[in-house]
Amino acid sequence: MYILRKPTWQLSENEVTDETLFHKRREFLKLGAAALVSSSVVVEKLSAMETTPRTPLSFVKTSYGEGLELNSFEQASTYNNFYEFSTSKEKPAKMAHTLITSPWDVGFYGECENSTILGVEDILKQVALEERIYRFRCVEGWSMVVPWIGFPLKKFLDIAKPNAKAKYVAFKTKYDPQMFPDQSRGLMFGAIPYPYVEGLRMDEALNELAFVAIGMYGKELPKQNGAPLRLIVPWKYGFKSIKSIDYVEFTIKEPKNTWQVVNPVEYGFYANVNPTVDHPRWSQAKERKLGSFLKTKTLMFNGYEKEVAYMYKDMDLKRYF
Amino acid sequence: MKKTLLVFISLTPLLYLVYSVQNANDPIKYIYTFTGLSSMGFLFASLCISPLKKIYNLMVYRKTLGLFALFYAFLHFANFFVLDAQFDISFVLKETLDKPFIYLGMVAFLIFVFMGFTSTKKLFAKYNKWHKLVYIALILVVIHENMAQKVMGILEYFFIAFAIVLVGYRIYFQKSKILHF
Repeated sequence: MYILRKPTWQLSENEVTDETLFHKRREFLKLGAAALVSSSVVVEKLSAMETTPRTPLSFVKTSYGEGLELNSFEQASTYNNFYEFSTSKEKPAKMAHTLITSPWDVGFYGECENSTILGVEDILKQVALEERIYRFRCVEGWSMVVPWIGFPLKKFLDIAKPNAKAKYVAFKTKYDPQMFPDQSRGLMFGAIPYPYVEGLRMDEALNELAFVAIGMYGKELPKQNGAPLRLIVPWKYGFKSIKSIDYVEFTIKEPKNTWQVVNPVEYGFYANVNPTVDHPRWSQAKERKLGSFLKTKTLMFNGYEKEVAYMYKDMDLKRYF
Repeated sequence: MKKTLLVFISLTPLLYLVYSVQNANDPIKYIYTFTGLSSMGFLFASLCISPLKKIYNLMVYRKTLGLFALFYAFLHFANFFVLDAQFDISFVLKETLDKPFIYLGMVAFLIFVFMGFTSTKKLFAKYNKWHKLVYIALILVVIHENMAQKVMGILEYFFIAFAIVLVGYRIYFQKSKILHF
């Protein structure tokens, strides 16, 4: 007798899932997945998203930082030291909307031929934008890798034509208590004295690595990262990379930078990244890259020894920390 | 029964830590801050019990609160040893001997450990006098927490004021006992 053998894949009509049921099942699975990602996570992700849309920039890519693994935009824009808003690192991202970045003037003063005040848009007409990927190492022990967009600091300073007497250049963050809540608390109750001051020796400022950033991750800087323009000095601890600059002064004497004023035992003028010179309270030998549970070795001059070490070859780096 | 409830409540910070650390930008630092503040919370709570005794007697819970201060301090130390130092014992020793910030915390932790070990009925009877060392630990912990900041904030002033009240109360009401212990 011939036995009809059905192949295993051949199902009878009554076993077929109804099309509407098929779609419902998909919907149901999606619902379940969404419910698993708890609502608080969703809220967190949403609040971390850009509150004000950032304008995309046109720039050329460079070879700086090729091969480095980038941190995410979210990490770099939600972990900020910006004491003008708060000493918390998460709060500036939520508070920085009070910073009004346009119009924004930058004044050049002191030992220069062309002392002037310029709007950011006028400065941008005189420079070409490029992207540089740099390591960023905070004195507190954490670090990140960020693609900055901007132009060499030298191009920025050339606008004012510093004269031969200029040995140092000082920068200040804008002082406006209406925009920066901690500035309105005054010297008594503010976290640190304002305006925030930083400075560089002229040869440091003219070094090819010293950079003015106006953007990151392809678009203009988020406010909490120091919009509209900030310094990036990759071989020095992060506090040297002053944010939201509106004042530049060429000086004969070494400027007193804010952290040196606040705590001269722990913070100096140079603040070069140096794994062999510890902070009095913690070791600087290793660093915590944002998002990682493991530590990595900190490199001399943050990995930029080749480009910058010559400037410090006769200096005792333990003394000039 | 109520004690079991207290144990469960006291474990919620740990549960929250395990959940929230996954989204932390700087996980090691986050664990330090979280476990450190949790430990301080339990320490302050446990030290409030005896001054409040006459108003509201919660003496039966004092030991549990104290042990949780030790528990979170242990997690704090474990973070230093496991994640921060990556089991490098020579690094731990060097940092502990080198840096006041770290040895102050370490001494406080050793006081906690001592108190934890001598908190059984039998040993407590013998060593309870020495448990006054907790006030030394309190002062060290407050200094340690202060040193963890770049600048002092509201929380730091609060801890200092709270510690002054607790230590002041002890000295004022038990002057004779403290001098003779």
